[in-house]
Amino acid sequence: MPTTVLMSDFDLPTRSASGFILRYIAPRVEPVQLFSFLVRRLPFQLCAPQSDIIIGVGHGNESSFTGQNEAEILEVGKYNPREIRGKVIKLLSCQCGVALCPDLIKNGALSVAGYVDDYIWVMDSDLASTPWADKEFAGKSLMPVVDGINALLDGKTAGEAFDIELEGYTRNAAAEEDELIKCCLEFNRENAVLLGDPEGRVRARLKITLPIPPPRILIPIFQG
Amino acid sequence: MPNAEFEKLKEALRKPATPEAMREAAEAFAQYRKVSLGKGNSRPTLVNLGKGTGYPHAVPLDKIPQELERNPEFFKLLKRVVAKEES
Repeated sequence: MPTTVLMSDFDLPTRSASGFILRYIAPRVEPVQLFSFLVRRLPFQLCAPQSDIIIGVGHGNESSFTGQNEAEILEVGKYNPREIRGKVIKLLSCQCGVALCPDLIKNGALSVAGYVDDYIWVMDSDLASTPWADKEFAGKSLMPVVDGINALLDGKTAGEAFDIELEGYTRNAAAEEDELIKCCLEFNRENAVLLGDPEGRVRARLKITLPIPPPRILIPIFQG
Repeated sequence: MPNAEFEKLKEALRKPATPEAMREAAEAFAQYRKVSLGKGNSRPTLVNLGKGTGYPHAVPLDKIPQELERNPEFFKLLKRVVAKEES
């Protein structure tokens, strides 16, 4: 079964978050990954039903998760349950935990992890073309997400993976000297939710870490 | 140990989003910024994955005082994040 990975890449936050997924998750999953302009409804509809796990990075609100340029991907009442039935889902997005994640569970998703308020972090915008290199700022918030997703891909349960993400925030917040970054880490931890079956798991994937990072992301000059 | 400037920011954010409180929070953030983040070559920016929120997806830290002063929705966001209070 392939993995559906959705990596929006059209502004600073999507580029930062998708950059970490591209660096640390993409190498170990099958090449059915939707990046940048491919993160749209139709490609998602084609990929998702065949997957056992859906990993999404994009802007969102209480009732919807979006892809490239905020194209709707999943919206309460506007998707086919076949796209999400029996799947483990992780949405790195804002507020989806309020209404969308419960709706996904109601329609048959095995487990869904999301956030009930904004997902917020500090990134270094000078590293927008190599976001995975931003260890000083973005890595403190995004590496716990990566660690949680990697745990899922190692075959751990959704509950175990969720705990790994939360522990990452706690550990990084305890070591953080800057008050604003610490507040962001605590905020993300407090707003993370896991719905559905905490024992849900997917087929374990091979552990692959590329020794070299991906090539720089090209940034159109008219984008931020 | 919490720094004094950040504590002043928290106090300002605990107030309702009035123009006076927003100005006070903006000044407190500017003071905090002077002694904290963003030394060296980096360009730290506060980002979020919200949609239709009424505040920008990305605000460079040196522009946060201006955004705090003019945008009540951004003030309310930082109230939730920093002061840990519902807006």
